[in-house]
Amino acid sequence: MAKTKEKETHRSFNLKQELKLAPGYIIILLWVIFTIVLLGWVFCASFSTTAEIFQGKALKFETGLHFENYAKAWNGSGVAGFFGNSLLYSVVSCVALILVCSPAAYVLSRFDFIANKFIQTSFVSAMGVPAIMVVLPLFSIISGMGILNNIPLAKGTLILLYVGINVPYTTIFLLTFFSNISKTYEEAAAIDGCPPMKTFWKIMFPMAQSGIVTVTIFNFINIWNEYFLSLIFASSDKLKPVAPGLYGMINSMKYTGDWAGMFAAVIIVFLPTFILYIFLSEKIIGGVTGGIKG
Amino acid sequence: MKKNKTMIVVFLTPAVLLFLGIFLYPILKTILMSFFKIEGVTDAMNLWSFVGLENYAKLLNTSLFRTAFFNLFRIWFFGGLIVMSLSLLFAAILTSGIRGKKFFRAIIYMPNIVSAVALATMWLQYVYSPRFGLLKNFFSALHLEGLAKTQWLDNEHKFMALLLAYCFGMVGYHMLIWLSGIERISPEYYEAATIDGANKLAQFRYMTLPLLKGVFKTNITMWSVSSVGFFVWSQLFSNVTADTQTITPYVYMYMQIFGGGNTVTERNSGLGAAIGVLLSLCVVLIFTICNKAIKDDDLEF
Repeated sequence: MAKTKEKETHRSFNLKQELKLAPGYIIILLWVIFTIVLLGWVFCASFSTTAEIFQGKALKFETGLHFENYAKAWNGSGVAGFFGNSLLYSVVSCVALILVCSPAAYVLSRFDFIANKFIQTSFVSAMGVPAIMVVLPLFSIISGMGILNNIPLAKGTLILLYVGINVPYTTIFLLTFFSNISKTYEEAAAIDGCPPMKTFWKIMFPMAQSGIVTVTIFNFINIWNEYFLSLIFASSDKLKPVAPGLYGMINSMKYTGDWAGMFAAVIIVFLPTFILYIFLSEKIIGGVTGGIKG
Repeated sequence: MKKNKTMIVVFLTPAVLLFLGIFLYPILKTILMSFFKIEGVTDAMNLWSFVGLENYAKLLNTSLFRTAFFNLFRIWFFGGLIVMSLSLLFAAILTSGIRGKKFFRAIIYMPNIVSAVALATMWLQYVYSPRFGLLKNFFSALHLEGLAKTQWLDNEHKFMALLLAYCFGMVGYHMLIWLSGIERISPEYYEAATIDGANKLAQFRYMTLPLLKGVFKTNITMWSVSSVGFFVWSQLFSNVTADTQTITPYVYMYMQIFGGGNTVTERNSGLGAAIGVLLSLCVVLIFTICNKAIKDDDLEF
């Protein structure tokens, strides 16, 4: 099926047929152009000055490119700190999620035991539970223990939260992936005398690489953009990741009137996931519907 | 395969422990909390006082909460209509054989990978800006002075502005779900229909749509789950703490328990917990209705 699709896109130009599709092209193009204008303008404005933006000349660059907007946002407004926090939270959580979830997903996909179906159903249901159902008791425990005043400990706790919240999604995603790998590999390994746990790490884990990469991209994007939990648990500026950090900055920049700096901050927050998307959009799009049963 | 108990236990324990700690225990405790009056979030259980269903009654009698709930319903219902129809339309166009399908698909999905705070800021500070905004310039260029002068973020238009910006970000995700459904339909069906003389529109109406019933259910479920947690857009679009145009249950809960301000009449974490339970009940209700109304096993393809 994929092959016929490829052929279709490379078919020769046929005016009559293209004209039939014209309304479709127009609708899609309008939407796409709007998206590009939205991002393009904000990107350009971030190199402009506030005065130029207000005169409607953000795209003319009469006074040149103002890279200092980025320098100001990065150093002056503390984006550097938020960015560092987000990077730490996302990377560590993503690695931890794979170490925790891939063995669990493998066992759930391969062995028949009493709790198997029950665990799977619980995980699937958990994906639909609103975050508001878990924040109050967790906040009560974490804040009651005074953890949020100790910065390194609080960072660790936040990572634990990000990992925990994403366990059901990651496990279910990888479970579908492991189910599609043939059992003959383990059988061959077992005949050669390889213990099952070693078989998993040496043979199955590397074979699941493409699924692991996809789910890690999604986890990274989710944790990078996470807002609600971060806002509640990361109250101090030293703990904040980019999303609530940006929110605080936007509020303060509305008063100082530094619009160019604000757009620069928006672009800084936007870039990491966007760059990831430019290189991996096919993989990301292919994986979106992988985690849900359609 | 031979059972291997140690392996099952060792491999499952970390994931299950995290699930118990971050989902099961908090969920059960939240349900319990919703029946108690709790002055401070961190209060020990012996300081709680049992009030039965009073928290729920109080919420339903608070006009600000009713407004918040109504706003959420408006977002779910009207936003759902907009997002479902646009995403289905885009999916239908992209599978109609146009060129550059992959490129268009990638651009339309792109807002979903961007931080909602960044995206909302782009809309607020650029598209809707009364001084240098996209809408203002667009309508000025068309000499529609009335529309160009519209204050998109005043109380009269704010909800619509919020809804449109939110929908813009959500269309791509739901389009991908539709696309995956459409692409699973065998092309032979369409070939047969074309031979029988059915045009593209008829094919879409009488073949694609009925075959997409199951996908529709998935879409509604995902839409409901994500809109229940409507928070960040609402917070960004409000100028005051309790903006009746944009407030949603999450914002109300956040205000009650974590935010200060003069809108907080009484500190009671039980109310926050009750909001959570109410929202979860809504999700369960929508899910049940969808499952009852749409049976996807009567069509095999």
